[in-house]
This record gives sequence, structure tokens and C-alpha cells, in this order.
Amino acid sequence: MALHRLSLRLRQTVAQVRPLHGSGCGQQQEAVGMETRPETVSIFRTQENDPACQSEQHLGQYYTVPASHFHTVFPHGLPPRYQQQVKTFNEGCVMVRQPALELISHLKRADYINPTLRYLLYGVKGSGKTMSLCHAVHYCSTQGWLVLHIPDAHLWVKNCKELLPSSYHASRFDQPIQASNWLRNFRTTNEHFLSKVAPPPQIDKSHTTYHLSRVKSSSDVVGAVLKELRLQAGGTEGGFRLAVAVDGVNGLWGRTTLKKEDKSPVAPEELTLVHNLRKMINNDWCGGAVIATLSQTGSLYAPSSAYLPQELLGEEGFDSMDPFIPVPVSLYSEKEFESCYLYYLDRHWLQHPHSQTEEGKKELIFLSNRNPSVLERLCAFL
Amino acid sequence: MAASVTGLLKPWTPRVLLVRWSRYNPYYLEPEPRKEVYHIPETELTPEQKEERELKSVRPIKAATNSVTSSVFNDPVLSKFVNMMMKDGDKIIAKGIITQTLENMKRKQVEKYHKAPEVKKAEIECNPYVIFHQALENCKPVIGLASIQKGGKFYQVPIPLTDNRRRFLAMKWMITECRDNKHRRTLMYEKLSQELLAAFSKEGNVVKRKHELHKMAESNRAYAHYRWW
Repeated sequence: MALHRLSLRLRQTVAQVRPLHGSGCGQQQEAVGMETRPETVSIFRTQENDPACQSEQHLGQYYTVPASHFHTVFPHGLPPRYQQQVKTFNEGCVMVRQPALELISHLKRADYINPTLRYLLYGVKGSGKTMSLCHAVHYCSTQGWLVLHIPDAHLWVKNCKELLPSSYHASRFDQPIQASNWLRNFRTTNEHFLSKVAPPPQIDKSHTTYHLSRVKSSSDVVGAVLKELRLQAGGTEGGFRLAVAVDGVNGLWGRTTLKKEDKSPVAPEELTLVHNLRKMINNDWCGGAVIATLSQTGSLYAPSSAYLPQELLGEEGFDSMDPFIPVPVSLYSEKEFESCYLYYLDRHWLQHPHSQTEEGKKELIFLSNRNPSVLERLCAFL
Repeated sequence: MAASVTGLLKPWTPRVLLVRWSRYNPYYLEPEPRKEVYHIPETELTPEQKEERELKSVRPIKAATNSVTSSVFNDPVLSKFVNMMMKDGDKIIAKGIITQTLENMKRKQVEKYHKAPEVKKAEIECNPYVIFHQALENCKPVIGLASIQKGGKFYQVPIPLTDNRRRFLAMKWMITECRDNKHRRTLMYEKLSQELLAAFSKEGNVVKRKHELHKMAESNRAYAHYRWW
């Protein structure tokens, strides 16, 4: 009798001990984790290169974007220093981080019959907002969505050499160079789509290519393309999903540095490109998602310490973006920093003999405060 | 009268405290920036070190200059190069150029490393600091010339050079070469990284200038006895 009770007690302790291993991981996943851990290469790298299959167990690890995909998915949109890094290391590796995973899980579970959800990535300068956006864009393109990636909305509101008055609307201005550049990159990303999607009555593929050579009317072409895609995304017979990825969305509201011929300033809504993009970001269409990033780096007339949505978007911008799902992007955690450090060691990037010691590592943590871009710039000359 | 007499009786402190000046009373001691000196426990100190510590507790210490750090990445030769490249006291720009140069050199070498076959990988040097020091070594002249007057005429006499002079000449030639012989549109860090990589493999204009100096010294060997020191 006592023995029976003892065995019951033991069974209870065994049953209690099991759920303690890992936070809710299934036994299968545990077994898989145990298999990959003995490999010394996989501490900071993962073999799971498909963003759809990445989960919390891959947090802090680097996955490789296949070289064949690279130029079609990211003709523009990657940060310039990252592009240099890809060229130097001869491979494009992206770290799987919490904000990107959260964003991808929202995109997986969202209901695309309802009006579009807007996601806003915000964080301090250099915390990895653009890279998280590119991770989400990679997910969308592997899932077969049509991706509209605007690499930096600030490029459309400053440094414009040619500002033509719009033929379509009297008080608006066209930006032929920026619009034609964007159309060219859009064609590289979505070439396979343009053949599949049913040509709309007003504009079709040959029209687009014809207008690509005619730079003058490219802004109107952009507007027409955006409008058509918006109408077709929700349609049942077309069946594709549309992802609008805008980096530096706070540039669409606020001020520009452009001037009209009589030296009076141009407001953003007087630019055709900005006007059409704002219509795109409105949540009055369905069948897709809008993923946006705030950016202080290229912004105009914003203090350098501002990073919150309220500060950077301003009243008008916040009212247009409201309601949105905010996704905060933080600096590297300890695990992510470790992973980054090991990656640089593996790629022979940290060459200074002292940087490979514990002392040097502590100094790197102190100097960079675990800020991803500051760490990258520090490790560049060490 | 009473005020000045009481003033004389106080212990003397200078009215203006010396901070960041380079001319100090010899009474002041040099600061010690290295961390490992302070980590030695009491028991392992030699008698000289103990004496030095006691002296430091009573004497005033000079203010440390901005260029001196306790960082593990501190390199005195590189700091000297930065100071020589600096114009109008703008060290931020000079340091920026040097860091960009190091990055550029590292990028070129690492790219070459990743594209090379396994056999060639061990020969490629990726450490920009090693390249910089080796390039500077390759540019240092062994023997120099001095202008000595004898019998109304000036002769170029070969003389031995001190280490400091050799290092100075190597750095000076490198900087003047990069400033003068570059295209208007090439940036300084780009030209400097090209020259350093060339000097590392013993090619390029700076190493050529060193060889020319050596040849001049060799040709003027006959006047070597004009040197009296």
C-alpha cells in the first residue's frame, strides 16, 4: 500500500518535471534541437532559409538569403552599408529578430477580407528597422505576394533636380527621375507578376514598358499602377495579395525642401508621387498589408533624438496612419549581440587581435551599447 | 599691508591651475593610462613599483592628453600617423580618414579572401593593422643624407638615421604622396589604402622613393668621412 502511494508520488513528480523542459516546446522540436546543437557552426547560423518556417527557436540566428533571389527581391531597399557587407562577405545573411518574427506571424494570421492592416516599425536610430522590413518583404515575396517596396519616402521630398508641373492635375508636380527609377526597380521585382495579372483596361504591360522609356509621364504611370493594383488586390478572380512596404513613411507628411519657381515651398500633397502613395496607405482597400518604417536619418526638420511615432509622424501623419499596429524594434539583446559577434568572427571581419579577446568584447559592448549600426561601424575598422 | 603678509603665510598654489598644457613644472609626474598596472595586487608589487606608488600619492600628476586611452585598441604608431595627417588641429577628420582607410583595406582583402580558393587563403593578409605596420616598415629608409659644408661647398653626406627619424620620413612620404599624386576626384582614404597595400607588397611610389634615397647615399659613399659624429 505504501509502495503503491510512493510509485504514485514518483509518477506525479515525473509528470511535473516534463513541462519544465523548454517553454511549451513539443518533444519533437526538442529532439530536433538536440540534433543540431552539437554542430559548432549552427550556434549563430540556421539552415532554415525560408522566412515562413522560422520561429522563436531561430531567434538570434542568421539565415542566408539565396543568391538567386537576392537581385530580384532586393534591387533597392537594403541599407547601403549592408549592401557593401553582402559584397564583401560574398553572401547575404539576415538575423532573425523578434520584431520581424512578430510581423510575419501577424501577416500569416491576418484576415485579408477585412480592410488592410497597417504595421509601423519604430525604434531608435540604428536599431534594425529597415532590416526587419526587408525580412518581412522577403517573406512576402517567397509567399508569392506582389511587393511594392518604396526604399525611402524621403528621397521623393528632397534633392529633386527636375520638378515638372503635372499634366494630369494643374496644381501638382511631377518627379520624372525618381518615378522612372522606382518603376524600373518595380519591374525587376515583379516581372513574373505583370504577365500573370490580367491587364487592366487603361494600362497594360506594354504600356508600362513604353512609359518607362518616356520618363516625362512616369509619375502618372506610377499613380495608375498603384490604383490598378489596389483595385485588383481585393478581387476574388485575381487572387494575389499586395504588400506595400514603405521605408521612412514620416517623409510623406511634414515639409519638403523643394521650391517652386517663385521660391515658395512645395507641400508634400502637391507632389503626384506622394499624393498617390498616401492613397495607397489608406486602409480603404483589402487583400494586402501595409508595412511601414519610421526613419529619423533622412527626415527633414526633425530633431535627431526623435524616434517615437507621435514625434516623427506629426499630427497629420498620425491621424492618417491611425489605427496602426506598432512594432517596436529594440537594440540587440545579449544573445543577439553574441550571435553578431560570432558571425563577424566567422567571416574574418574582426581582425584586430584584441577584438577577439574577452576584454575587447567588453569594450565593444561598452562603446556600441549593443546598437546594431554602431557595432557594425566599430567592427568595420577593427 | 596686513592682507599681503597673511597671503604669504598660506601654502603656495598657482593662481592658474595647469590643465592640458604641455609645459609643466618638472615636479609633475606622467599619468599611467594602462589598465593592467592597476590590476596588480598589493602582494605582487616589486619594491620599485611600491616606491613609485608612494611617490604618486604625494606628487601632482599631469593631465592626460585627449589622444591617450586605456582602450585595448590604442596604437601609438597609428596615433602619430593621425597627428601627422591632421590639418588645423582637426583630429576628427584625420581620424575619420584613417578609420575609413583601415575599413577599405580590410574590405578589399576580405573580399579577395572569400573569393580565393582554399589553397590561396592562407597567403592573404586581412588584418589592416598588420598591413599598415608592415607597409610603414617597408617604407622606412635605412640610411639618410645630410647637407654638410666643407671648403665652401655643400656635400650630400650619407648618415645613419635614428628610429624616430626613419618613422617620421616614412609617414611623411606616405602622406605627401597621397596628397600630391592623386586624381582630383579620388578621396584620400581610397588613395591611402591603395598606397598602403602597394607598400605592403613592396611596390608603389613610396617604396620607390626610399630606394632612390638609398641609391643616392650609395653613390655619395665617398663623402662619408665628412661626417664627424
